Amino acid sequence: MVIYRDEYRLYNFGPDHPFSPVRLEMLTSLLQALGVWQPPHSPPEASREEVLTVHSERLVKRVEAASRGERVPDLEHYGLGTGDTPVFPGMDRAARVLVGGTLEGARRILSGEKRVLQLGGGLHHAQYDRASGFCVYNDLSVAIRHLTRSGLRVAYLDIDVHHGDGVQWIHYEEKEVLTLSLHESGRYLFPGTGHVHEVGRGEGVGRKLNLPLEPFTEDESYLEVFEALVPWALRAFRPDVLVVQAGADAHYLDPLADLLLTTRAYERLFRLILEYAEAFAGGRVLLTLGGGYSLDGAVRVWTLLYHVFHGLPLPERLPEGWLLVWQERLGRPLTPTLHDPEAPYPGIPRRPEIEKRNRLTLERLTELVSPYLLD
Amino acid sequence: MLVKDVMRSPVVTVGPEATLEEAYRLLLERGIRHLPVVAEGKLLGIITDRDIRLATSHLNPKGPCPTCAKVEEVMTQEVVTAHPLDPVEEAARVMRERKIGSLPVLEDGDLVGIVTGIDLLDALLRLTGVTEPSGRLEVRLPDRVGELARLTGYLAGRGVNIHSLLSYPEDGDFVRAVVRVNTLETHLLAEGLRREGFDVLWPPKKPW
Repeated sequence: MVIYRDEYRLYNFGPDHPFSPVRLEMLTSLLQALGVWQPPHSPPEASREEVLTVHSERLVKRVEAASRGERVPDLEHYGLGTGDTPVFPGMDRAARVLVGGTLEGARRILSGEKRVLQLGGGLHHAQYDRASGFCVYNDLSVAIRHLTRSGLRVAYLDIDVHHGDGVQWIHYEEKEVLTLSLHESGRYLFPGTGHVHEVGRGEGVGRKLNLPLEPFTEDESYLEVFEALVPWALRAFRPDVLVVQAGADAHYLDPLADLLLTTRAYERLFRLILEYAEAFAGGRVLLTLGGGYSLDGAVRVWTLLYHVFHGLPLPERLPEGWLLVWQERLGRPLTPTLHDPEAPYPGIPRRPEIEKRNRLTLERLTELVSPYLLD
Repeated sequence: MLVKDVMRSPVVTVGPEATLEEAYRLLLERGIRHLPVVAEGKLLGIITDRDIRLATSHLNPKGPCPTCAKVEEVMTQEVVTAHPLDPVEEAARVMRERKIGSLPVLEDGDLVGIVTGIDLLDALLRLTGVTEPSGRLEVRLPDRVGELARLTGYLAGRGVNIHSLLSYPEDGDFVRAVVRVNTLETHLLAEGLRREGFDVLWPPKKPW
């Protein structure tokens, strides 16, 4: 089942902001042009109370006030009104619409649906009482909490290039939530966290896993550590459901990061995620979008996701008409094929060293969490 | 950042008449490694877990007996100390140069705190600003008046808040500035800085 509504595009920080609703417009129009778009399920927006299951009243009050255009003196203290997360009229509702989509996904899973793809959300930086990094409310955590309150064990997998810090901290002491984030190391990239030694606290110890990767990791090394870590952790944790933040900003064209994945790695990742859901979570999986700031890269990655999700054959070329319209609108050429070209960027000379470091990081992580992961 | 901002207080101390065994037990129970030796409010010396282990090791046949020897026989006298208003970097420098792991902090002759290598590492973590969600920029600046202001002015102009800024001298009349900023968009900032003529080392320029 796919969840989407046009109001997702109300979540709009302005024309020059990277978290642009144009991505959704391009994505849905491409799926339509390819003839694979099926009318999605339209979710209700989340209520204030639902948002309050993971956020503080004081944060919500400030978002509401800023949303109405009121001047709030301590807004920056709550991570709002910054260059990254500016305020805009109607921001509270726009954020609740996205939360509503992911929450609806959780409800559908509880009522027996196996696979849900939410074409939006993934606002993984939002914290308990602080907006951060383009994220106002944390849709993922609201959905995860809904699932755990219904008695399910949730494994959260985050493949966004940035550390899934908000989700990690919100569930840091919870035993029934495994968080697993693969990201470019916080040594080099926002939000600066996600080190291997952040393993959870209290009952949550050993249930928060971070694999910080070297800049310029590339397909091969990423897949190597992903295939070693993820099934291992899921097998040990035995989740009832997998929640996946499928950010597309690890793509090599992304303007904000340097992990350098191509669409070939993404295709493999999406197939593996569905396989793992079958093998370790009774087939139950809820996927959201997330970061992805190259229009060209992110839209093709999520088109791939849509196809793999539905088990559709992959088109090779993108429709000419669609390309013409969007190239004219954006004023620049777009990749004409669904997959990236072969060897799309110059070779990285430090490759062996990077592969070695990533393996070492994986080793350190598994050593750290092994004693705790098995219940 | 001053010693008073990072020191531990109150201090766990021991009297000069205590036995080595008593002192060692205290170290173990409190999970610490340094014990100032105090009598009538005055600092007489300092004893560490290492002092006790060396003194009582079976490899040291002439060593004192742990249950009867007193702390004052083994403690280090003429202790190197700090003042609450000393800058942390000065404390770090003294500890490094004298190869010691802690400094009792004295004010008007009274023991008011202790600062250890661990406290200085905590201070370093706070100075680097890594506890706030942030991205990292590294810029090489000419070592002359106004360059840092030019850099921070550019960031301010883009509405970017600086969580921390560390700089250190580099060979060839340059200064390296490491800046933690509250934005995901460090690549876009780096591009803008390069256009302004800055030598941005991190994030690197992509060749495509």
